Amino acid sequence: MTTIVLNQQDPKFKEEVASRPGAENFKLCFTCGTCTASCPVAEVNDEYDPRKIIRMSVFGMREAVLGSDVIWMCQRCYVCYARCPQNVKFADVMGVLREMAVEEGYAPKERIEEIEELDRFCQELRCDLVQNMTNPDEKMKSSIKAKLDKHLAR
Amino acid sequence: MSDMEQIEKKGAVLVIGAGIAGIQSSLDLANSGFKVYLVEESAAIGGIMAQLDKTFPTNDCAMCIVSPKLVECGRHLNIELLTNSELMSLEGEAGNFRARIFKHPRFVDLDDCTGCGECAAVCPVNTISVFDEGLVQTTAVYKPYAQAFPNAFVIEKNETPPCQLGCPANIHVQGYVALAAKGKYKEAYDLIRMNNPFVSVCGRVCFHPCETQCYRGEYDEPIDIRSIKKFIADYVHSHHEEMEKAEIAKPAGEKVAIIGAGPAGLTCGFYLARMGYRVSIFEKDSQAGGMMRSCIPPYRLSREELDWEIGEILKEGIDLKLNYPIESASDIEKLKAEGFKAFYVGIGAQLSKMMGIEGENMKGVWGGVDFLKKVNYGEKVDVGKKVAVVGGGNTAIDCARTALRLGADEVNLICLETRNLESKDRMPAHSWEIEEAEEEGVIIRDRRGFKGIETENGRLCGVLTTYCESVFDKDGVFAPVVCDDIAMPIISADTLIIAIGQGSDLSGFDFLKSNRGTVSIDPETFATNIDGFFAGGDVATGPASVVSAIGQGHEAAISIDRYLRGEDLIAGRDNIDRTPSTKDKLYVPPESRVEIPELKPEDRICNFDEIELSLTEEEVRREANRCLSCGICSGCLQCEIACEANAIKHDMVGEMVDIEVGAVILANGADKYDPSHKYEYGYGMFPNVVTSIQFERILSASGPFAGHIERPSDSKKPRKIAWIQCVGSRDTVEHKHYCSSVCCMYAIKEAVIAKEHESEIEPTIFYMDLRAYGKDFEAYYNRAKETGGVRFVRSRVGKVLEIPETGNLMVYYSTEDNGRQFAEEFDMVVLSVGFEPSSSLAELENRLGIRLNRHSFVETSTFRPVSTSREGVFVCGPTSAPKDIPETVTQASGAVAGAESILASARGTAIAEKVYPPERDISREQPRIGVFICHCGINIGSVVDVPSVVDYAKGLPNVVYASENLFTCSQDTQEKMKSIIEEYKLNKVVVASCSPRTHEPLFQETLRESGLNPRLFEMANIRDQCSWVHRENHEAATEKSKYLLHMAVAKAALLEPLPSVTLDVNQSALVIGGGLAGMVSAISIAEQGFDVNLIEAENELGGNMRNIYFTPAKDDVQGYLQSLIETVEEHPRITVHKMTRVSNIEGYIGNYKTTITNGETEKKIEHGVIVVATGAEEYKPDEYLYGSNVNVITQNELEEKLFNADKGLKKAKNIVMIQCVGSRDEKHPYCSRICCTKAIKNAIELAEANPKANIYILYRDIRTYGFNEEYYEKARDAGVVFIRYNDSEKPVVSQIDGKIKVEVKDAILEADIAIEPDYLVLAPAIVPRAGAVDISRMLKAPLNEDGFFLEAHVKLRPVDFATEGVFLAGLAHAPKTMDETISQAMAAAARACTLISKDKYTAESIVANVNQDVCVGCGICEAVCPYSAPKIIIKDGKKVSEVNVALCKGCGNCACSCPSGAMEQLGFKYNQTATMLENALNL
Repeated sequence: MTTIVLNQQDPKFKEEVASRPGAENFKLCFTCGTCTASCPVAEVNDEYDPRKIIRMSVFGMREAVLGSDVIWMCQRCYVCYARCPQNVKFADVMGVLREMAVEEGYAPKERIEEIEELDRFCQELRCDLVQNMTNPDEKMKSSIKAKLDKHLAR
Repeated sequence: MSDMEQIEKKGAVLVIGAGIAGIQSSLDLANSGFKVYLVEESAAIGGIMAQLDKTFPTNDCAMCIVSPKLVECGRHLNIELLTNSELMSLEGEAGNFRARIFKHPRFVDLDDCTGCGECAAVCPVNTISVFDEGLVQTTAVYKPYAQAFPNAFVIEKNETPPCQLGCPANIHVQGYVALAAKGKYKEAYDLIRMNNPFVSVCGRVCFHPCETQCYRGEYDEPIDIRSIKKFIADYVHSHHEEMEKAEIAKPAGEKVAIIGAGPAGLTCGFYLARMGYRVSIFEKDSQAGGMMRSCIPPYRLSREELDWEIGEILKEGIDLKLNYPIESASDIEKLKAEGFKAFYVGIGAQLSKMMGIEGENMKGVWGGVDFLKKVNYGEKVDVGKKVAVVGGGNTAIDCARTALRLGADEVNLICLETRNLESKDRMPAHSWEIEEAEEEGVIIRDRRGFKGIETENGRLCGVLTTYCESVFDKDGVFAPVVCDDIAMPIISADTLIIAIGQGSDLSGFDFLKSNRGTVSIDPETFATNIDGFFAGGDVATGPASVVSAIGQGHEAAISIDRYLRGEDLIAGRDNIDRTPSTKDKLYVPPESRVEIPELKPEDRICNFDEIELSLTEEEVRREANRCLSCGICSGCLQCEIACEANAIKHDMVGEMVDIEVGAVILANGADKYDPSHKYEYGYGMFPNVVTSIQFERILSASGPFAGHIERPSDSKKPRKIAWIQCVGSRDTVEHKHYCSSVCCMYAIKEAVIAKEHESEIEPTIFYMDLRAYGKDFEAYYNRAKETGGVRFVRSRVGKVLEIPETGNLMVYYSTEDNGRQFAEEFDMVVLSVGFEPSSSLAELENRLGIRLNRHSFVETSTFRPVSTSREGVFVCGPTSAPKDIPETVTQASGAVAGAESILASARGTAIAEKVYPPERDISREQPRIGVFICHCGINIGSVVDVPSVVDYAKGLPNVVYASENLFTCSQDTQEKMKSIIEEYKLNKVVVASCSPRTHEPLFQETLRESGLNPRLFEMANIRDQCSWVHRENHEAATEKSKYLLHMAVAKAALLEPLPSVTLDVNQSALVIGGGLAGMVSAISIAEQGFDVNLIEAENELGGNMRNIYFTPAKDDVQGYLQSLIETVEEHPRITVHKMTRVSNIEGYIGNYKTTITNGETEKKIEHGVIVVATGAEEYKPDEYLYGSNVNVITQNELEEKLFNADKGLKKAKNIVMIQCVGSRDEKHPYCSRICCTKAIKNAIELAEANPKANIYILYRDIRTYGFNEEYYEKARDAGVVFIRYNDSEKPVVSQIDGKIKVEVKDAILEADIAIEPDYLVLAPAIVPRAGAVDISRMLKAPLNEDGFFLEAHVKLRPVDFATEGVFLAGLAHAPKTMDETISQAMAAAARACTLISKDKYTAESIVANVNQDVCVGCGICEAVCPYSAPKIIIKDGKKVSEVNVALCKGCGNCACSCPSGAMEQLGFKYNQTATMLENALNL
């Protein structure tokens, strides 16, 4: 098990996060886990744990947070936001962390747009798949495949 | 103060709220010489505690411990109980207030109600049971719960139901619907006839405005009220012969003449005849019925039904005179001459209005009413083949449909209005009439103006019409706009019926005629302008409905009665409350409206049979059950009929009373959070998700499932049950910035008790921080976890979903140790709902003039925890903050101390004394024993065969009376017991029920009130010792009950009266300990007017408080301390002894002699009571390098550094705090309660002093209960980082070259964390002082396992010791905060004053007694007595024992140690005990 020496972390990090719009309440997190228990991403991905991201941020683990893939996993469905008893607005906190990751060079600046596009693509894909499920159709199937291939080719 | 002394003080106190807090306050006040007015908004006292099953941490039954208090409070001579009442205003000032109280009507007279329950047995209404939290239903007349005090019923009303308001005859619609739902048709029929004698007619033809108003119509469809009424009438008609008939007395009163035998006249006559008047009805036609007969066709109202109904009306003794027209003034004069004193004109509107056009008198043209009348009177009418009807109203429709039935091939209905019923120009006929007519083939030609008739060869051949553009103008006035230029096709017709309106034939009544062609009347009384003449129905209103005529006829009957008795006609009739029921409580179970079967159109147009068929009984009852019971009480009046005591008063009204009091105590508690809008938990959607308070009811033996754990959806026994904590607590989104303080413990208790009920239950508690912070709570938690089979999961649940097939619930959660999401299936989910500020506070804030805090609870402050912002108004319990029962009870007594400080001079000025009848001398009587055996609801009765025990008792020697009771302790049974004692001349009483510990005093009081010595009483505990311990074996439990009873009866025969011993009381107090608790107690007692000696071991007052500099609320602690010390030292009634210890305590309640030592000096003090406030101290840690590194300090040391603005602290970059140092471990297994808040308080101070510092708090559970949660929130916001550690993996602290390193595992990151702090701050435990052991020994006051003093009862006697006269406050009791200490210190003072406010004390009468002739003076008794009661003395030269009865507690040690048999215990004498054993063994 790794040891995290808190003296070596960046105590300013949590204040920086909290100073940005949307993340005002993030320090109020008392690690109850409602977010993780409600999260549709956590439902399918055991590695994804919103509570852990907040925790790392509170500990000042700037590099580990901003450089991590997990901050891009959030689907921003706002379920955690709705249920959090401390009004942490996790989905907005994610937005702040993503901005900071781009600003500080942990992620390319196109990343935010790419993720938005990916989200839109996933929504389209879902609609197509639902339609194909209720009304199977060869044309639809090949259209789905084509869209997916096109996306993977990027 | 000077102002206060000038006003006249009142010796009475108003207590608002009668939960446990209000009850405790009332008892303490009343027992120390004050009159109490106890105002409770509900119908019974007891509050939430009465709803609970068991209490933590002792698992006592809540009802069993509260019930004696209910009875004591309810029976107390100086407590005046005002239930169903609320405070409206409070004027005046502290010492002299005037309170205005509104007493809401109970509708049951408390003086008359015996609590027998006959009313509830006949009540047809089901409404949700508030006491059982909606899990089951109760009736609209109910007793809140079995042991409720007052033991009386109450009727729940929700204003007037809309159906009744909609009815022109004001029928109790909800009432007869409710009765029909229960199959009580005759009762329903009688109820309707109280306002409407035409049940059958209205069941068929009423236009049912009741249904239009019905609230159910807003959800799906209104109740089919008319069909229900029709069924009721038909049922009574067809079962008429077998029904009981009431004898109808022949009327003998004044003579009243009624002109016209229509609905109005017959109704008026009916009610007048019922009132005893001699009524004659004069009808010009050959048959009675008026328009009902002439106009309503038989296919809507069969003539058989009409005849029957009129016959039933006439049976009241009405003289009907047919073919008897009254047409002229002379006719009237003739009647007057015959002795008729009043006249009612109800001649209807029987003239057809014509249009005055050419050809109107031609053959084949009819007036509508004339046409119907001819047909309906059976005359032959030829209608031809093609019929045109002009008119859009109901009469026109009737004409059209009648014409069809007479053989017309085609019927055209021509009207100005439109068929579009949404339009403002809609046809006036009822929609259903139009639809039925169309079904039968009537063609509606709407929007047509009648222009003229077309003739051919002098015979009618068609009707000319034009287009009608609109009928009503924008103000709704009839102003048809007809376009003459738009010619419409001719409608061919050989018959024309003109049905455009009716008028009255008022010839003979010119003197009554108005310019509108009607009789003008007063709209409330139906009196005309002419004395003695009344009128109603169509003749007064113009053509209207049958039901309006009925309503008016009834009202006129009331007026005529008043007129003939010379009373005012209008008084009380013009201001009737017409407020409709509120809709907020309605529950709408899904059930669609019943369909009324009808004849098919083709089967009905060929005859005049009723087209509407009847509903089956099953359909009617189902339909009646759809009623939402809007008014809750349906007004069916069955309870009034059933009540033998005449206690039901449906017309009871509220009453305003003013009372004068000197102070007010607000104890109205808090509400329970409603979780229905936390959608993610599914409450209200999924039946097996219940609240914790519902679960209390499920567990309770008196609950909806009789103590069997069942889930609501299917009564299945649940196996896996999940508790979800913090529902509505610690939730800033719900604006709950506080912890509700009690939920962790009650959830553990519920889980433990559930598991005890059914061992296969698997309880799981989902929590965030487990807050077992109270005395003995941690041990309870550990037991639950380690041996109680309760699983604890640290996670706040994300959502709950139902599995529809099974009703089971999926609970989604994520534990912190691996961050994964889990879904686990449970059979049932319990939501641990928190406290909400009482909803009544919003109004009380203004009415009392007090401030609320930011959480909307009543505002208090650290140093004045039971005071509100208005002087003289005190507060206690959850009204000011969430808290548990012991703290509530403590504060209740504390608030009393506050009130008594103001009112000390008025003590005893407003009270009454109880006088008992003189004790009967029974010395010459043979034993006459009465036996009362209790079912205790189902506690005993469901296991023990009580009737067989009663039979058994009847056969025992000396028993002259034996009976069983549902609850022997209830008020009505106690009253019954008194009358039985008198009737049977009983001289001994035996009760077989529960524990003498809780109930013996109650029964003994009843004996005293009956003139018997209270010791002539014996109890057999057949609940604890039979039904509870032998729950599984009913037979054995019953047999054992008989054994116990036999023993009790045998002993009772030998019982002797024991005199009560009265002692003088030294009216002063000794307070041991000069810290915060001791000083506050001393001041409080002194302010109440009694002398106090205050003992302090150190040379300075203040104790631990000297080390406290901050509070989380930023109070000035040291400033307050100085003011306290000054008050104590300057108070004329307080003597302070510093550097002094107590070295010996002698004596007993009321008469203590205490030796105190100051160095070499000894002094004796005499006093009546003792308050122990010896405090506790901080544990000196030996862990985490404390003592070996100067930078490892305690929280107290940190606080001092902060206060002194320590420079090192200002420079520190990293500070780590470790919680639970020496708490919750093997050395001190308890939680020290205050350390979490203290650390957080200091962390916030530190963050403010040094904003750059990184502050880390290492904790196990953050226990910031109540409003302290806010500071936890504030600390996080300030950047303080909280890291949780497990008990099994405590932080590791090391040092290299003086540099501290703290290592701890973070569960969420699954990583080791290392911090190198500048300071390490430890939160050490609070431990008892070493000196506590000595005080404990001197006072014989026990300590608990942890070394803190043990109070008499942890729930309900939190500041008393078992030893009377000794009280407890502060840290000596358990760790607590300053405000809690102050409350408790005041409470101890109030409790102490209940004793020293009187100069006499009545001691225990069961004491040891020596037969000195037999005594050998061996001294064993002296050695074994824990209270030093026996002493060996020399008497007549012989060593003998002598007992000081004031010291004796009746423990029996001496009696059973005495080798010679000289020492006996009164009440447990040798022969008495031996007889019990003999009888037990010889059974």
